[in-house]
Amino acid sequence: MRYIILVLLNMPVIALALINILTQYKMHKVSIARFRHQIILWLTIMIILIGSFPLYNHLVDKPIFDSSELSLFDIVQTAAIIFLVYIVNHQRQRLERNEQMARNLHQEISIKLSSYKSK
Amino acid sequence: MIKNHQLFSICVVIPAFNEEKVIGEVINNTRKAFSSTGYSIEIVVVNDLSSDKTADIAQQNGATVINHILNTGAGGATATGLSYAQQNNFDIACTMDADGQHASEDAAEGVKQLLSRKVDLLIGSRLINKEGMSKIKILGNKGLSLITHLLFGINSTDSQSGLRIFSNNAIKSLRWKTSGYEFCSEMLWRAKQAKLNIDEYPIQAIYTDYSKLKGQNNWNSINIIKSLVRQRIAELFE
Repeated sequence: MRYIILVLLNMPVIALALINILTQYKMHKVSIARFRHQIILWLTIMIILIGSFPLYNHLVDKPIFDSSELSLFDIVQTAAIIFLVYIVNHQRQRLERNEQMARNLHQEISIKLSSYKSK
Repeated sequence: MIKNHQLFSICVVIPAFNEEKVIGEVINNTRKAFSSTGYSIEIVVVNDLSSDKTADIAQQNGATVINHILNTGAGGATATGLSYAQQNNFDIACTMDADGQHASEDAAEGVKQLLSRKVDLLIGSRLINKEGMSKIKILGNKGLSLITHLLFGINSTDSQSGLRIFSNNAIKSLRWKTSGYEFCSEMLWRAKQAKLNIDEYPIQAIYTDYSKLKGQNNWNSINIIKSLVRQRIAELFE
């Protein structure tokens, strides 16, 4: 049951991330390479979450992986980490876009001002 | 239609920061070296907010001067120069250091080689013929070339060379994100991503007391590596 809660808590974030990148790709705001990277990243997180319970059952018999199941606190913490990854990733992309715009603006102003002065 | 070599327009981009002592000589030597080739050249000095008379001296020596409003670093200044070359439809662009470390004849030779080899980006390598380079510089450059290879899969004997020749295709398609010295390696990576043809040719390095003072410190390599690793990891999440 707790593993189902883990998946259900995180699915909206992963779905949101996938929808965001798909929308950006369809609107030609990101390249195919970026689209692929993001899809792989979020699908990997999704597969790890879905596969965590069968993986736990499989590994628990092995001596070094013999540990207790996830607590409710662990589940909330994991969900919070995944949500933070989403936020950080989103903000980093925005920051990078803004940096690029500032760089281009600086270049343009420098070129334009210099040609204006030399006239 | 194939253009006659003599009709090619070349933009020589010189990013400069506080280079008043040598910038005039670099401009004049460059003009002299290119005069025998017959190419039409424009020398563009990108003044990266120098606090000395670099801009005035460059202008007095007949260069086009672009004054940066902010100090961006060598990568940012080079990007501005290439942007100028693109806006003014130059056929070829050539970047070289402002500290007199590069022989102007090597720049002119690079343009010839770019045209004959039909490549998009030609790197002037100081390490094919290592004469004049100190062992510590060789070690630093080789280390950074190795890092460039490990991170981006690019084989270059001198990934940090500032003497580079760009075809019109490269001028239009090459963009990079870093603005410090790490742009040298990142540029090669972006060129590979843009599927540009990259090649090298041997050049000589002129190390005077002045250029030794102005050149990259080996300790700066750590900052360069940190920035390149950051770029590589960030790309995974893009």
